[in-house]
Amino acid sequence: MRAAQYIRIWLAGARYSMVRTMMFRGDFIMWSLVELFWMGVNLGLIGVIYQHTESIAGWGPWDMAILVGTSLLVQRLLMGFFWTNLFEMGRNVRTGTFDFFLAQPGPVLFMVSTRKIDLDGFLNAPIALGVVIYAVNQLGLSPTPLQWVIYAGMILCGLAIHYATLLFFISLVFWIQSAKGVEGGYFALNEFSRLPREALRGIASVVFVYGLPLVVVTNVPAQTLRHGLELHHALWLAGAAALWLSLAVIMFHRGLRRYTSASS
Amino acid sequence: MSLAKYRHAFVLGLQGNLVYRWNFAVRASLSLLHLAYVFILWGAAFSGQESLAGFNLSQTLTYFVTILVLQFFISAMNEDYEVSEEIRNGLINQFLLKPIHYFSYRFSIFVAARLVSGSLALIPLLLALPLLWPHLEYPTATWTYVAAVPALILSAFLQFTLAYCFGLLTFWFLEIQSFIILSLAVETILGGQVFPLDLLPAPLYELSSYLPYYYQMYFPAALLTGRIATPEAAIQGLGIQLFWVLALYGVAQFLWLRGLRRHTAVGG
Repeated sequence: MRAAQYIRIWLAGARYSMVRTMMFRGDFIMWSLVELFWMGVNLGLIGVIYQHTESIAGWGPWDMAILVGTSLLVQRLLMGFFWTNLFEMGRNVRTGTFDFFLAQPGPVLFMVSTRKIDLDGFLNAPIALGVVIYAVNQLGLSPTPLQWVIYAGMILCGLAIHYATLLFFISLVFWIQSAKGVEGGYFALNEFSRLPREALRGIASVVFVYGLPLVVVTNVPAQTLRHGLELHHALWLAGAAALWLSLAVIMFHRGLRRYTSASS
Repeated sequence: MSLAKYRHAFVLGLQGNLVYRWNFAVRASLSLLHLAYVFILWGAAFSGQESLAGFNLSQTLTYFVTILVLQFFISAMNEDYEVSEEIRNGLINQFLLKPIHYFSYRFSIFVAARLVSGSLALIPLLLALPLLWPHLEYPTATWTYVAAVPALILSAFLQFTLAYCFGLLTFWFLEIQSFIILSLAVETILGGQVFPLDLLPAPLYELSSYLPYYYQMYFPAALLTGRIATPEAAIQGLGIQLFWVLALYGVAQFLWLRGLRRHTAVGG
């Protein structure tokens, strides 16, 4: 398949999602508010802590706002593009509805991952970006356009890592018939992406910085805005994205081989 | 009113929830990850200073460990969805024809569910206890524990009643998930699950102490961890908590009666 065909299929899915969202406008508004409020909860925590201290692991309040904003931005994009699709995949494999994707004229992983988009996830992404820009201004930083482009690239790497880790764990459904607990696990682990790397020491550093690339996903882009590009960090992030994407794709296709239709 | 039927509902609730023991165990284990995050974040925030808002690091970490345990013992977890499902699927019809008080029936099951989830949550916590123990610092005054007993019972009642009210909204709305998640977000922050509420600026803390969310989780946790300073403050808190319990129970009864008027039972 050519790139244009992928784009056409994705646009058709996006159009379908938009029409569906507009049919349930009240729900859309409620869910957007829910997402917005949860973002407020995360920022509220930081705000309250900085009422009583000046620094967390050497990061001031606006540095932390860049970090938390970056984490929320990646999470919003994940929610918008992939979240529903991946969790529906877990359910579909269990119920046999997954056959529907096998019968479609396109690569299964692409069809599974991009069928729907969630507009309420996207709606809050600009707000998360707004938090980052506001914090950058408060710090008196003036990143160059190139720095912003690199930051955007790093956000995409972060999105790829989040997508890949989620796909990796959801693909376990081919073996264990249920992906329950993955959602809770994702949110529990994602909390670590809102921590400065310097706060993690010992075993926590080994697990959450070097093992799972949770801290890298947010700290590297945030540091790029604060202090400029550090090439080895950028390569680390890109390498982690490539590694996790490869692992997830292998895991998915291994699982796919095990899949036997459950429908009648 | 015979209590035997609710005892049976309680036993059925125990059996039903034991089926999901692994779900609770996984959830409890994941909450240890959250605890690790809390320890790292607050450890970094305390770095270089003895206390925040008059409490040291150990007292703050004790607060979060207590909140975590209470979540498994007194929080409403999916009671709102269960009530909602029973209304939507028409399963509620069977209760309308029998001499059973639906609120009490669901409350019996809630108590059983929390007994199971709370007990299971203790297992990973006990395993982690050697790591947690050096950071735990509970108050020595007896009155805090005496006051905490009714506060915990009322909190459980408050948690359940609020979830029950959200479940009853299904009489009016097909989809209530967004209401529940929005309420959860409010409860998470105003119930003191994200940070101890006494870290808020004084006027906001004062305001929060008049809201029901304060009494859902923060109040009993604050009593157990010495964040409520005097017996007088505890008694005043218990009074406000009782008011909210009664008020929400009234709202629940109102929603039930109004909702039933809208409800249409179909089927043979």
